[in-house]
Amino acid sequence: MTALLEARGLSRRYGGVHALRDLTVTQHRGEALGMIGPNGSGKSSFVNAVTGNIRLDTGSVIFDGTVISGRPPHVAMRAGLTRGYQAVRVFATRPVADNLILAGLPHHSDADRLLHDADVADILAWLDLAPLLERLAGALTLFEQRRLELAMRLLAKPKLIMLDEPVGGLSPVEVRAMMVLLRELRARCDIFIIEHTMHVIRALADRVIVMVGGEKIADAPPEEVLRDRRVIEQYLGVSDA
Amino acid sequence: MDSETILVGVSILTTGLLLGAIFSLAASGVTIVYGSIWLPNASNGQFFLIAPLIAWLLVTSFGLSTPAAAGLALILAVPFSYFLEATLIRRFYDVPNRNIAYFMVTLGLTQVFAGLLNITFGQWSDQFSLPPVLGGISWIGPFPMQNNRLLVLCLAITLLVALFSLMRYHRFGRALRAVFQNREAAALRGVDVRAVYRTSFLLGTLMIFAAGLLYGMALSFDLTLAWNMAVTVFAIMIVGGPGSVLGAVVVGMMFGFTQAVVSAFATPTIASFAYLGAMLGVLLLKPDGLFTR
Amino acid sequence: MSRPWPLLAGSLALCIGLPLALAGAPFAAYIVTGAFLQLLFAAGMNLLSGYTGITPLSFAGITGISAYLCVGLVMRAGWSFWAAWPVATLVAAFVGVLLGLPALRLRGFYFVLSSLVVQTVLTLAFTAFASLTNGDTGISQIPPPSSPFVAGGTLGGTGLDLLIALVGWAGVVISWRLAGSGFGRRLVAVREDPELAETLGVDVVFCKLAAFFISSLYAAAGGPLMAVFVGFISPRSFDLLASLNIWLMVAFGGQGSIAGPLIGTLILAPLPSFLLGYYQVKDIIYGLLIITVTVAMPGGIHGWISNRMRPRLP
Repeated sequence: MTALLEARGLSRRYGGVHALRDLTVTQHRGEALGMIGPNGSGKSSFVNAVTGNIRLDTGSVIFDGTVISGRPPHVAMRAGLTRGYQAVRVFATRPVADNLILAGLPHHSDADRLLHDADVADILAWLDLAPLLERLAGALTLFEQRRLELAMRLLAKPKLIMLDEPVGGLSPVEVRAMMVLLRELRARCDIFIIEHTMHVIRALADRVIVMVGGEKIADAPPEEVLRDRRVIEQYLGVSDA
Repeated sequence: MDSETILVGVSILTTGLLLGAIFSLAASGVTIVYGSIWLPNASNGQFFLIAPLIAWLLVTSFGLSTPAAAGLALILAVPFSYFLEATLIRRFYDVPNRNIAYFMVTLGLTQVFAGLLNITFGQWSDQFSLPPVLGGISWIGPFPMQNNRLLVLCLAITLLVALFSLMRYHRFGRALRAVFQNREAAALRGVDVRAVYRTSFLLGTLMIFAAGLLYGMALSFDLTLAWNMAVTVFAIMIVGGPGSVLGAVVVGMMFGFTQAVVSAFATPTIASFAYLGAMLGVLLLKPDGLFTR
Repeated sequence: MSRPWPLLAGSLALCIGLPLALAGAPFAAYIVTGAFLQLLFAAGMNLLSGYTGITPLSFAGITGISAYLCVGLVMRAGWSFWAAWPVATLVAAFVGVLLGLPALRLRGFYFVLSSLVVQTVLTLAFTAFASLTNGDTGISQIPPPSSPFVAGGTLGGTGLDLLIALVGWAGVVISWRLAGSGFGRRLVAVREDPELAETLGVDVVFCKLAAFFISSLYAAAGGPLMAVFVGFISPRSFDLLASLNIWLMVAFGGQGSIAGPLIGTLILAPLPSFLLGYYQVKDIIYGLLIITVTVAMPGGIHGWISNRMRPRLP
């Protein structure tokens, strides 16, 4: 397996607090990588740092052979790296169709034909968005918005999608449906998933990184991580009852 | 040093103090309203000008004394403020990015007021001044100062002290500061946020009116005062930090002295350039201003 | 729009026909040509204010820079108008991009405020550098451009009206093509949510600066035309009120659409001509409209109409 994403020695301080402390993460092609940790452990900061949404104090990020650290987010995006947000992020005041057109812009020259493109139609059918095209994105349910967000990101045909708690806030039924979608997503691109809870990660990730205080305390397949005494003490014993 | 230099120096000092106190008062009024309601009042200069114009009208047309006319004009701030609050301001209280909407609304208000004042007061006179309340000159040590200006200065400082006490010790002041910091948290702690908004707009309007009246009692003025004041007060608020009364007072004093010095030696345009430059610099480098915690 | 040609040809015919038809009616021609000039400004303002979501209150200042520069080149340096116009336009548009740089750092109200500061500084500068601008008195008796067809002749009256009408028409058409292009949609994405736009691969910095450049080109191209059309410029022609009035035409008609600014300009631009001598009344009316638009009709007339016409969704 070759490396798709290589983040080396990432550090970021806010005042006296380390959001990230000398964090090194490698994700291989074809691999689903998970990241868990308590609130404020630096999971979202890691994604923000990799995609260029926050500045790094030190460290470098190489994605698919391109150096993307220190560059604005659209550079990462054009290299094939995209992301979702913990608080779902769509153009809330626009209809779903507009959202897709705006998202498809950098990749499709003819925006008006975009929705009739075979690939796009396939994504819309898979995520069951076709019936929602005329609705305002802000008026959708959270689950529908998360599916829309996923569709918008997939229009770019990314190599890797980084998702920040994609099942957060969903009902138990929706969580199960979302997990099915995420497993199917692996056929379309590689995934990186931040989660709060272990059972989602166990079902979706091949390997998991455990974060505490901006540092990595474990990096192994889920079953091994669960046996790690440090992980149990530091994290699982406290919050994953 | 010859006596002329000393006189110029003293005049700069007293004018600086006077302008500084008046600027501080007006800027405190604007900054309180921005800190609480998020309303950047672009028409503050018109408010500032309307107050002494009303007093002038009362003096020249109805023969009132200057203190009576100023008192009456100040009282008019209450219905004026409630009217604006009820018609234009209240409806935006729950809008997320309301400061832009407020800015455009108050720019529109500025245009309306400027037009109204031009076709009324602008036709009646070019220069306006209120009869001095006190005559004569006092000597503070070796320095001469007009009694009238001394009175205005004392009034301005009294009002500033009163404002500080209100903000620090009164229940309303504490509620206001709680809203500045976090309106959701303030609401959860039982603060009636809308009442605070309403009262802070009234308080801000009263202070701008008071500052304008003090200006009119000490100096003569014309209709261009409105826009100059609006720009100056905005610059003070931005440099001092929006919502910071301390910042408004410190920067207001600095700007007052700047204006006094520049006016003594060059055209006031240079002072305006300086304010605007300072405002642009702070906006770009430290948009929260110099005095925010 | 799938078949734009009839509309394009029709509007072009109107733009050529109207000044020719009004050749014998100077007052009507003056109003119509003034409106074409405002159309140009409104289209430029709309690209930034409507499509990109950035309100530049320094817009009229750019127009002023270009107008003063062109008039200076013609009247002092003896340039031909046809050389001075493009040079002044390009210079002022680059200044416009520089003045747009704060928009990369400042969001929302803080940018609007900084642009107000810039506008105020420019107005002060137009007044203060009296050796170049003749200060508050302004520059009068600006000569009309030389005729491009007749040697030694001048382009005045109907010829100038035609030129301005054509430039106004071209400005609106170009803004319409831009708005429908991928670039226009990127601007909309930046307006709706800059961070999300970036995540979706939009180069936000480039888009904002490009929008500033194009919008400033509109502002700047109109300055010299205004100078030769009115024959007089002063700092008051390019002050904050002028910027606000252009914004009002866009917002009153409806921001972020092509029809909106057209509607707004056609209604508001002729108004001052009917209030000649009572120009303060115009200020009051415009001020009240700014308040009304902001308070009651954020979508402008166009938004209001299309809201009425759109079928209610369940």
